[in-house]
Amino acid sequence: MSGMLIQCQEVWKNYGSKRALQGLNLQLESGKIVGLLGPNGSGKTTLIKTLNGLLTPDHGVVLVDGEEPGTYTKSIVSYLPDKPYFAGWMKVSDLFDLFEDFYEDFDRQKADQMCKALQIDERLRMKTLSKGTKEKVQLILVMSRQARLYLLDEPIAGVDPAARDYILSTILNNYNPEGTVLISTHLISDVERVLDEVVFIRDGRVVFQDLVDNIREKEGKSVDELFREVFRTVPFGGGEW
Amino acid sequence: MLGKLIKYDLKSMSRAFIPMWLLAPVVALMLSFSIRGTVAWANQSRLGSLFVVGNGLLMAIMGILFFGALVGLFVMTVVFVIQRFWNGLLKEEGYLMFTLPVKTWELVVSKALTATLVSGVSILMGIFSGMILAVFSTEEVIRSLSMAWKYVFSEIIELGPTFWLNVLLFILLLILGTAQSIYHAYAAMAIGHLFQTHKVVGSCVSYIAISITVSIVSNIVNAIVSTALPDNWFNYWSYDLMEMMSTAYLLYLILGTFLELVVYHVITERILSTKLNLE
Repeated sequence: MSGMLIQCQEVWKNYGSKRALQGLNLQLESGKIVGLLGPNGSGKTTLIKTLNGLLTPDHGVVLVDGEEPGTYTKSIVSYLPDKPYFAGWMKVSDLFDLFEDFYEDFDRQKADQMCKALQIDERLRMKTLSKGTKEKVQLILVMSRQARLYLLDEPIAGVDPAARDYILSTILNNYNPEGTVLISTHLISDVERVLDEVVFIRDGRVVFQDLVDNIREKEGKSVDELFREVFRTVPFGGGEW
Repeated sequence: MLGKLIKYDLKSMSRAFIPMWLLAPVVALMLSFSIRGTVAWANQSRLGSLFVVGNGLLMAIMGILFFGALVGLFVMTVVFVIQRFWNGLLKEEGYLMFTLPVKTWELVVSKALTATLVSGVSILMGIFSGMILAVFSTEEVIRSLSMAWKYVFSEIIELGPTFWLNVLLFILLLILGTAQSIYHAYAAMAIGHLFQTHKVVGSCVSYIAISITVSIVSNIVNAIVSTALPDNWFNYWSYDLMEMMSTAYLLYLILGTFLELVVYHVITERILSTKLNLE
């Protein structure tokens, strides 16, 4: 168990009568890019929020670098949520100031450079930015940290293919190689090339976990093909696609 | 870290409040001048009544504006205090705040301190605006006020240190009372956050339930304390005794308010620490 960056044991989480996590078990090491893959509603966001401490599990143990979510784990986790979390009145520079104030591993110079490269004016207020620019600012904030664990919740959902490439290369070029990147998505083919390991999640449980190289060697399939096989459902009216 | 959080919270609150804090005294000043003008026009019989009516109309508009500014200041303070906690911690902005490497109590205390400060400044600006209105309106008001102040001042300097102690205790009680009211709302919102659905309704119901509980508990405690007091202390009535009793009563109120505040803080902090659910 020791040496694992993420350890989840029998984690349960319900939203009223809806079960989001059902005895989930997961262990992840440092230094990998891991895909948390599963269809919509499989529990990806719930798991990521639980690792962040934004959700409290009903049962089970969640450890990040050997500790329960708290002040220490928050100082080593860089989180990209699936929606913007900014106050509209804040300027881009205010957000950089905030991150600089609270996170020791935030590289302000890098954030400024990324902003300049993307032609984002730091003096602008968040409420005046387009949805796409807000997402870019959020990505800059997250990837300007030298974190031990990056939790990226659907970073490429809802953007065009060119933007997906940009987001993935930003992640690849800027993450801390000694840390782990956990990317949740259901757009497998887009992220497959950057992943070292995949975790398939369904109905709040981990149903498959392996290295991408092993999948290719042992199964002779791409991750996308394996995903489709594992999560295949019979279409209404029967038949195959 | 608490200092940094307070800096951030003050920044988010002050940008909305500073214009309102400036508006109230400015409108008060304009109203006082229009009152002064109306009185002056009315005293000059050679001028037509049209001037008086015109200026009277201006005075009425200014009066409505001033009243509106004061009500606005009050409503805005209440709404902002609630909104900064609700949106800042329990909605999307909470994703940012609760992933900062700070303790939950620091997040709560930072919000409460800044909200108390902002409420305090709003109250002071309201009083200040009223004073401006009084001082600048008519000569008569100024004269009456200065006479009243001279009388009050001559009386006050005769009073002993117990009086000043009581004044200080009263100010402390006001500050604690403001913070306690804010924490009451925070605790209600934290409890409302535990509801699966209808969290706002849950918060409102919690607020009322807390009020009723506190009222029952304080009535029981008051009854116990009053029975503990000697029945015949009125027989030894004196000014010194009255002052002493006032001090004791103020201390009693301060203790009660502080205890209530601590309970609200513990409820809020515990819920957000152990039951946080930012779905």
